[in-house]
Amino acid sequence: MRANRLLARGFVLLVLLYLYAPIFVIVLFSFTTSPRLGIPIEGLSLRWYASAWSNPLMVTALRNSMVLAMVSALAASVLGAAFAFGVVRLKRPRDRQLLLGAGLLPAVVPLLVIGISLAVVFQAIGIRQGLLNAAVGHVLVCLPFVILTMNARLENFDFTVIEAARDLGATPFRAFLDITFPLVRQSVIGAALLAAALSLDEFVVTWFTAGNQQTVPVLVWGLMRRGIDPSINAIATMLLAALVCLVFASNRFGRKTAP
Amino acid sequence: MTAAVEIVDVGKTFGDVAALEQINLQVQDNEFVSLLGASGCGKSTLLRIVAGFEYSSRGRVIIHGEDVTSLPPHLRPTNLVFQRGALFPHMNVFDNIGYSLKLRRWSKPRIAGRVAEMLALVRMEGLGSRNAAELSGGQIQRVALARALAAEPKVLLLDEPLSALDLKLRQQMQLELRAIQRSLGATFIFVTHDQTEALVMSDKIAIMNQGRIVQFATPREIYRRPSSMYVSDFIGQTNFLKGIVVSSAIGVTTLDVGDGEQVMGESAPVLATGAAGILSVRPESIRIVSAEQCADRSATISARIIEIVYLGSSVRVGSVTPANVIIWADLRDAEARDMTIGMEVKLSWSLTAATIWAGGGARD
Repeated sequence: MRANRLLARGFVLLVLLYLYAPIFVIVLFSFTTSPRLGIPIEGLSLRWYASAWSNPLMVTALRNSMVLAMVSALAASVLGAAFAFGVVRLKRPRDRQLLLGAGLLPAVVPLLVIGISLAVVFQAIGIRQGLLNAAVGHVLVCLPFVILTMNARLENFDFTVIEAARDLGATPFRAFLDITFPLVRQSVIGAALLAAALSLDEFVVTWFTAGNQQTVPVLVWGLMRRGIDPSINAIATMLLAALVCLVFASNRFGRKTAP
Repeated sequence: MTAAVEIVDVGKTFGDVAALEQINLQVQDNEFVSLLGASGCGKSTLLRIVAGFEYSSRGRVIIHGEDVTSLPPHLRPTNLVFQRGALFPHMNVFDNIGYSLKLRRWSKPRIAGRVAEMLALVRMEGLGSRNAAELSGGQIQRVALARALAAEPKVLLLDEPLSALDLKLRQQMQLELRAIQRSLGATFIFVTHDQTEALVMSDKIAIMNQGRIVQFATPREIYRRPSSMYVSDFIGQTNFLKGIVVSSAIGVTTLDVGDGEQVMGESAPVLATGAAGILSVRPESIRIVSAEQCADRSATISARIIEIVYLGSSVRVGSVTPANVIIWADLRDAEARDMTIGMEVKLSWSLTAATIWAGGGARD
């Protein structure tokens, strides 16, 4: 009995180690003095962060990533929320199920397929690769997740409050401004932050659409090809910090449904 | 005098399903009218058509002489109290009640005055800063009522606003609601499936069944003079006795209910001799006498007591007739003191308390 329990604990520990050891290693070595990965650690410093920021490519890549993240957050949350609203208001459960499924399906389509198809389509209509194409790709990748988040919120949304506003003299637009939007705002912000996180981390679709423009993940990939440079650890750690913050904030907003 | 609300030939179909057949209803100013019926009878649909949330497939809705049939809800002079209040959860009580006034661009002091007036009306003085989420079920409905009344609607619509409350509170709120309606001199249309509630509150009740209004009359008339067996069965408790018409004259019919027993009751039309008929009589109209005491055979039926239920202020006695029909009688405690189960008795009622309907089949 006791041996069993010990074994179970050991197993859980191993799985956790497997999940987090690589991340721990990269964070740890982003702060070391030595350029080589090795134990024992000689000393701690921020020199790899300084070196990462001194790379002019890094600054451009970060700017591009931020632009894409913002566009994704805005566009995906607005489009996704509108879509979820439309779906939830459908009377027949079958229609709801069907449309919701269609909205979520792209989440399981391989990113490679999405990336290649976007590249092909853009080429066919004669738009040169660049940030705009990448933005279209990012919004596409983020949409299913926004739809999922918004749908979860709207499923327990009491739509009679909108009727109440209309009944009390509000035009449809006014009822949206005064009642609907304030009640779903938290979820929309949560979904937008999630979209920003997904976009910041996106590599495959970006690689196929952005052309010679670089985002942070694409830059890291490029640096990796020239050998492991400890400043990559620093970039990865910063990316990790940004994503953890975004996802954490997204959860906090998303879960806080209005009373 | 024009009616406050006139519903003219209104019908509503959802796809192939008719939710409302031809509805005609006139609600006078200052009247408290209930739409009463089982779920699915169309009462809520009718209310939502008056409020503007559903458009009728046919017919017109006229409020104080103005045809509002095609007006959207925000342009109609009606306000609705929703079943579960539908308070704006992100606003406090004050902002909920003042919402319609804010939309009308009233000045802040004027809104504050009106909201205070409304809070006093529903006896929630000083609770304006409460959050909607902090209110009890009864308070939610008070605020919902205050919010709907703040806009001074020409007609207030109420969609089962008390159905979520527990019995005690519901009874108290029924009386309060009635008092508020009287003090304001307002027109209320109240939807409910609870017949007691309708009887307690209404000036008039419209009983609905399968998308039609089957009777529209005062509570007393509906209870005493139901227009059909359906209404008789739906409102209050009723006993039914099936039989064959022995004789029928204007107003009075005699029914053979088997085993040589004959009962009499009022009937609106003259029924054909030999046709099937059903007598209905309310439990409180039945007297029970012991078999020996009774001389007059025509207004009575013999039975054997099988159940005695003590209800405090009254006693409900169930007896079974020779034809195996159970008839319930409500007696005063003193009347039932000497009764025992198994006792052979006679049930009697006055001629005017019983109604005989044509037909022997289903109750509807």
